[in-house]
Amino acid sequence: MTDTGLQPDSQPDAPGIGEEYEALLQFLYLAPVGLVQAAIDGTIAMINPISAQLLMPLSTDGNLANLFTALEGVAPSLRSMCADFAPSYGVVCDAMHLHLNRRGDRKPAKMVISLTLVKLDETRLMAVLGDVSLQVKRDRELKQSDAWLNAILTGVEDYAMVSLDPLGRIESWNESIGRLTGFAAEALVGQPYSIFYPPDSTTPEHLLDRLREADENGWSLDEGLRMRADGSHFWGNSMISPLRDGEDRSRDPAFCDPESREPAYGLIIRDISDKREASEQQRKAAYCDYLTGLANRRAFFEAAELELARRKRSPRSTAMIMFDADHFKAINDTFGHPAGDAVLRHLAQSLKATFRDVDVVARVGGEEFAVLLPSTDLAAAALVANRLRALVEATPVLVEGELIGFTVSAGVAAMDDAISGLDGLIKRADQALYAAKARGRNRVDCWSPECPTYKDHLPGGINAS
Amino acid sequence: MTILLPLSFHQPEIEQRLAALGADGLDQLDFGVIGFDSATTVRLYNEFESKAAGLTAHRVLGQPLFTVVAPCMNNFLVAQRFEDAFETGAVLDVTINYVLTLRMRPTKVALRLLASPGAAMRYVLVERLS
Repeated sequence: MTDTGLQPDSQPDAPGIGEEYEALLQFLYLAPVGLVQAAIDGTIAMINPISAQLLMPLSTDGNLANLFTALEGVAPSLRSMCADFAPSYGVVCDAMHLHLNRRGDRKPAKMVISLTLVKLDETRLMAVLGDVSLQVKRDRELKQSDAWLNAILTGVEDYAMVSLDPLGRIESWNESIGRLTGFAAEALVGQPYSIFYPPDSTTPEHLLDRLREADENGWSLDEGLRMRADGSHFWGNSMISPLRDGEDRSRDPAFCDPESREPAYGLIIRDISDKREASEQQRKAAYCDYLTGLANRRAFFEAAELELARRKRSPRSTAMIMFDADHFKAINDTFGHPAGDAVLRHLAQSLKATFRDVDVVARVGGEEFAVLLPSTDLAAAALVANRLRALVEATPVLVEGELIGFTVSAGVAAMDDAISGLDGLIKRADQALYAAKARGRNRVDCWSPECPTYKDHLPGGINAS
Repeated sequence: MTILLPLSFHQPEIEQRLAALGADGLDQLDFGVIGFDSATTVRLYNEFESKAAGLTAHRVLGQPLFTVVAPCMNNFLVAQRFEDAFETGAVLDVTINYVLTLRMRPTKVALRLLASPGAAMRYVLVERLS
């Protein structure tokens, strides 16, 4: 005998509206994605538990009253993206990746949150949040194989091959490299292969890093601007691979002698100018800060982790500078948010003009910028930081006929063996920045063990009680 | 006749008193009580918490706390504190400000996290702040 449960006599109180409401509530409690409904100014109206799980560690004020405020530290441009979104309905951002550096966590791990924001109408927004850390890791591995396929299969304008000696110097000239780059044999042989890179876009250490990476992985690939003999640029893709495998090399005396001019690596440069626009746009969407066009947090953390990994393998100096616009809130309050945005863009341009191409300049918080300087010691970094500080002080921004003067404070730190990893370096630069602020602003301070300690004050930092 | 004084959220050494109250006593309290065992399965869920969340106890009892009942606490601010205390055998009695999503409304609360080594029950106490 079966009981369908529908017979009125067996179930006099058929599932009522109260029970259905409860089931719906639990459905939302259990949903494995974060859902938030907010007013157009970000004020949160409805929010489910996964959202709180993901957002609470980010919230600097221990509050979840406003979505934009809760995400300020990791997605500072969200508010302006929403304000700039003209249609009354549509997707403001689709699966945007927010990169979290979970400071304060006992087991620091990279975490990536995906955020989709939909404008429902003129007054309401809906956000979908999810933890995509694992997918991102998998994607990165996939992308590496994509780069391989790109290098091999796609629209190559022209390519050249040269051999390099164990230190990355060009071992011999041939016709293909002459055709692609315009260099004559006598200008090329014996030169490091950085001769094909625009000045400032690489360092001698990076040159060797790529050789080491090729030793370890069998290949090293990078894409970017390359330079011809006449100084003109093209978008190129360089692949380096060792000419013999590791076992051979350890036995071969030629590879133990740094003065050896024996060919040790093959370098293939491909002119892929055609592909540049597409790959640049893709890169920009993922790695650029919306407001300033500088690198975003994701780009910064990835580049910094890579540089520190390289430093671990072959030690060198690495410096970091944290900049913060002084009294930025007062600028916003006095002149309005558009003026505040103009100030940030102006500061971004000054940063871009001051630092080298090889330095990673990023917007990492609302009015906070970070610069990673490869192969640079503390003193040299402090010097450039001060140059930027002076430049900003000397050049006010013109916004709608109004001259706005502002200043920046900077904290400078250099990597040493007393600190482990990126977190330690960031913490030192933060402490130095805090010292510069405390000592009156518009100044550059270098980290020293006497730097005042303080509670993590950064946006994106954690104020766990 | 003795009149039992009701427990308050901030009462010192509250754990033994909670254990002594029994389910009916817990339902009289003016703050939320969630009790869970060493496997993080929810064993106690009082009336106050049930009303605030809009869920009757039978939907919650026997479910894992951090994945099914209160996923909003499954981060290092809350869940990891219990894990750490469990691993190191330390006493946990800490009160933090937090935001819960009771009936999908962001609600400011104080959470008191309680765990003692060897005790069968661990507790999250919830006091509404707004």
